[in-house]
This record gives sequence, C-alpha cells and structure tokens, in this order.
Amino acid sequence: MKLFQTEHRRALRAFYGEGHAAFSTLLESLAGTLEAEVAPSSARFDADSGGISSARRRLFEAGLCRMPFDSHGGLSLPFGVYSLAMELVGAADAPTAMSLGIHNTVADGVFRYGSESQKKEVFEDLVSGKRLASFSLTEPSSGSDARAMSTTATKTGSSYRITGTKTFITNAGEADVYFVVARSEKGHSAFLVDGSAPGLSVGADIPKLGMRGSRTAEVRMDGCSVPAENLVGEDGRAFEYVKSMLSGSRIVMGSICVGIALAAYRKALHYATERKLFEKKLSDMQMTRERVADMRAGINSSRSMCLYASRIKETGEDYGSEAAQAKIIATETASRVCDQAIQLFGGYGYTNADVHRHWRDARLLTIGEGASEVLRLIVASMELGGAA
Amino acid sequence: MNIAVCVKHAVDEGELRADTSGRPQLQGALSKMGSFDRNAVEEAIRLKESNGGSVTVVCLGGADSKKTLKEALAMGCDKALAVASARALDALATSYYLSRALKKAGPFDVVLLAEGASDTYHGLVGPMLARWLGLPFLGFARKVEVNGSKVRTEAALEDRAESYETVLPAVISVVSEVNTPRYPTLLQIMQAAKKPMEEVTVESLTDEGAPKFGVTVGDVVVQSVDRKKLVFEGPAEETSRKLIDALRKEGLL
Repeated sequence: MKLFQTEHRRALRAFYGEGHAAFSTLLESLAGTLEAEVAPSSARFDADSGGISSARRRLFEAGLCRMPFDSHGGLSLPFGVYSLAMELVGAADAPTAMSLGIHNTVADGVFRYGSESQKKEVFEDLVSGKRLASFSLTEPSSGSDARAMSTTATKTGSSYRITGTKTFITNAGEADVYFVVARSEKGHSAFLVDGSAPGLSVGADIPKLGMRGSRTAEVRMDGCSVPAENLVGEDGRAFEYVKSMLSGSRIVMGSICVGIALAAYRKALHYATERKLFEKKLSDMQMTRERVADMRAGINSSRSMCLYASRIKETGEDYGSEAAQAKIIATETASRVCDQAIQLFGGYGYTNADVHRHWRDARLLTIGEGASEVLRLIVASMELGGAA
Repeated sequence: MNIAVCVKHAVDEGELRADTSGRPQLQGALSKMGSFDRNAVEEAIRLKESNGGSVTVVCLGGADSKKTLKEALAMGCDKALAVASARALDALATSYYLSRALKKAGPFDVVLLAEGASDTYHGLVGPMLARWLGLPFLGFARKVEVNGSKVRTEAALEDRAESYETVLPAVISVVSEVNTPRYPTLLQIMQAAKKPMEEVTVESLTDEGAPKFGVTVGDVVVQSVDRKKLVFEGPAEETSRKLIDALRKEGLL
C-alpha cells in the first residue's frame, strides 16, 4: 500500500500553494523508504515488543530528524512538512514514529535553548542519529502535575548532583542522552545527562497495551553527577522551555495519530470492499458507508488541524492553544477511527493483532505528551483566562 | 568512465485500477520512475562509484518525466537530459530519439537501461537503441563487471544463465535481480534540484533517418483468469484427502 497518496499532495497544495511540488517529492521519497524498510516489519515490532532500532536508523539516515531545523545540519523545511512526514512514519509504524518524535523534541530543546557548544556537540549528533535522546519529565507521582516533581538537582562546585526517579520514559535504556528536568535552588532546571553517567540506571521495560516496538522504562538517578555545562539554558527556567517544546511535540503526536488512523482506515476500507454478507459487499451496506464517511472526515479534520497549528508555528506567533486542539482532535479521532476499523472487521478485528494494534497504539496518545484533560485546560484558559 | 542510463517515467502499475470493462484507468493514473529503471540507475551509480566518471540520466517523455529525472539525480546521477515529446512514441521512435540525444551528449562508454518498462514491458527499446548506436547489446544482465576496456555480464535467461563479454562502448539492459536500488536521503533530494538538467525536443533531433511510421497501441484490456473454485465439503479427514488428490492432479504436489 502506498503511504504517500493524492490526499497528502492535496493537503500540501492547500497549505503550501506553489511550494507544494517540491515538498511532495520529498515526502514521496520518504514514503518509499518507509514502505520498503519500515512498514513490512511493523506487525513484528508489535508482536516482539521491540526491534525498531534498524528502522529508526534508516530514518535517521534519510534525514527525517533534520527536517524542521534551519542550521547545524538542519534542512530548513517548514514544520508542517515535518509533521506530515511524521504522519507517514506513524502510518508505517507508530512506535518508530513515537521514538523519533520524542527524540526530536529533545533535539528541539537543545537547538532553541542549548549553548553553542551543546548545539555543536549534542544537537548535531541528535539530528544525524549518532546519538539517541530520551525526554525525562514524568515521575511516579507527577505526570500532568509536572510541577510537583521530586527529582532534585543540587549544585556542588562545578557540577550538579541529580537524585530522583522518572517513569514512562520512551527510549529509556537505548538513549545516549537524557533530557532531565529537576528541581534546583532557582526553580526547575533542565540537564543533558549522559546515558553512561555514574548513578544513572534504567529499570526493566514496562509492558504496555500498545506502542510495543518502542522501549519504555523507569530512569533512576542516585546522586548522578552532571557537569554544570550540561545545564540547558538558564537555571530555573526549564518549565518555560518544556512548555514550548511540548507544544511542537503535540503537533507531532497529533500527526502520528493521523498516520495511525489512516493505516487502520485503509485496512478497514479494503476489507469492506472484499467481505460479503447477506449476499452483499460490506461496503454496499448503508451503516458501513456512514462509518467510512465518519472515519474519512475525522482523518481529514485531524490532519488539517495539525497543519493549521504548524502553519501558525511557522509564522512565529503563539500556537500553544492550536497545538493542544490539534492533539485533542487527532488523538481522540484516531482512537475512534481505529475502534471503528475493529468493528468493521468484526471478530477478525478483535482477534487479529494487525488490526487491533492500531487502536492499542493510538490509545497511548490521549494520555502521553499532554493528556486530553490537561490540553483542554490549556485551550480553556486561552478562551476564558485563569490558570491552565 | 562516461555512463548514460535511459529511464522511463511510467504508469505506477501498483496503483492502476481497471474499470468494469476490464480496461485500465489510465486517465489520472499515478506515474513514477519505472520499477526496473531504478535498478538501471542504481547499477549506473555503482559503476561510477567503482570506476570513477559521471552518470547522465536520459528520459524521453512529457513534462512529468522531469520528476523521474530529479529522482535519478537524487539517487546519485550527475546530470540529466530530458528529451521532450508531446506525444507517446513507439519503441522504434523512442530508441531512435534516445540514440540521437545520446550521440549529442556523449560519447558514452556504457549505456544502461532496464530489461523493459514496468508498465508496458515490451523490452524493445534496449536492442533497438544498440542498433541505432551501432553498439553491441548485452541483455538481461543480473551482474555487470567492467574491467578496463571490457565489460562482462551474466544474463538470467528462463532456464539457464549465460555470460557475455565485449569491448566498450556497449548497451546493457539489466534485470531487477542485479541490485537493490537505494532510496535517496532528503538532503540528496534537495541537492538534486541544483544539479544540471538539459532539455531537448524530439523535433530538434529529427532528421531524414527518423522512422516515418510507428505502431499505435490500440485497446488495452486486462486478461481475467477464471479460477476453478473447487469446494470440498465434509469431515476434515475426507476433504483434506480430496484437496491433496486435486493438487496432485494439477501437478502441484
């Protein structure tokens, strides 16, 4: 099945006008790589709960992570084109997309807030794939309520000692660099912690409902010593940075969900045109047609919202609310579309992992990278005022 | 080494659908570089990588064919030559105009192309091109080795393999087994836009030697294959035996 189709070309034309042809060429080529080297292994990644590293490597080589950055090896492509690329990766294999999406959230943080030497030494390694990153924010007792975190960073001379536990950390155990947020004397601060730093350890893989190909585990730091030059930006300003990094990441997670929904939708559509019952094709039944129309409208509105938020981000205006809206719509739509796909497949949908894995993958993203409830608080606070 | 590779901007056969009368819906069909042409481009780049030199990719077709040329440039070809033709040409005319374009852009030590186009698969342009150029033709290569002024190929034929050798220059057609084509990186695609692309028209290449009559493709209808649709009913022990007997009868076991 072709990943890049007319609908993508039309979306690029609608959002990028004259420039769309060059972007279409890029994404069509990326889709060729995904079709040949990622999508065929996706069901196996789910069944084996891992094994995405070679797919991830191939996408690093293709230049996926370089797309949205405009220096230090970046390709200076619009964020919307990158988000559409992440949709294609999500359609090929959601855990690979998730792993790379989180990795690039860290790259974005280093790019925007890191020192020049961090950009040269860390950022350039991240976008080339020489090093893999992990975003370590959530703790066992502080998820959505991130300010309640208990991990501490204590300054001792020319270094910081970090102590605390982070959980549900994507890429844990594989990452070379951990972007760790901890409480310091001045508030909350962000650090780049080397994966081999003494005092840093990674727990066992956490079994998950979906996104099984990517690794998730606890990251524990016990007096982990980090040189002061590994502080990202200014001491005490990490929440400001994280908030901004997560806004971009929310568009990406929304786009990944568009891809997941599209993968399930295409399978369901194909099945509906083949399956016969009551001497009719499933696709000729009115209830199927209504369902197909709802699925298609949901996918298109989700993609449009992700591209709309991306376009606002590209202008430099505040896009936090639109990014939150895009993620709410895209992630909740994906869960619904994948659920409808299972329903269309009937018993085969419930028993065939290649159908229900899309629903299991999508289900994470109304929780991770900003739960729908938190995102609604953000949108409401923009509309009504008051704390998010 | 001066290498040329001829490619076709073909209908994407994987996405082609037939209408209710069994005719492929060519109107609005997606197009791409022919599947086997990607192998020819890959082989050209590999020859350049191991022997030095440069690769010129040539494509005869409409405005859309520049997309295929850009893809070949992104894969690693050095320059492109678009031979613009407003109408579809048959194999004789295509090979003639390609030969004229190659003579103008050359000389070339090796001219590579696919065993056939992935949409029409006539397989005629390669040998005809060699004839127009007056060069030896080595067809269906699954292995190409250049050694100094000589080239040696191994051809996969239906029931046997044959090896051929000749002195360069030569025209070589490759099969899909010859290699696995590379996918260009996003950076290579962006850089390809800066590589040189020349354009000539078939009109500018026409002379008194040009073929005067062509073959026109008439109706294209998908051949349907009737399945036997044998259904065995009864207990598993009985139906499995019947299935084995039926497969034996068909010579499949």
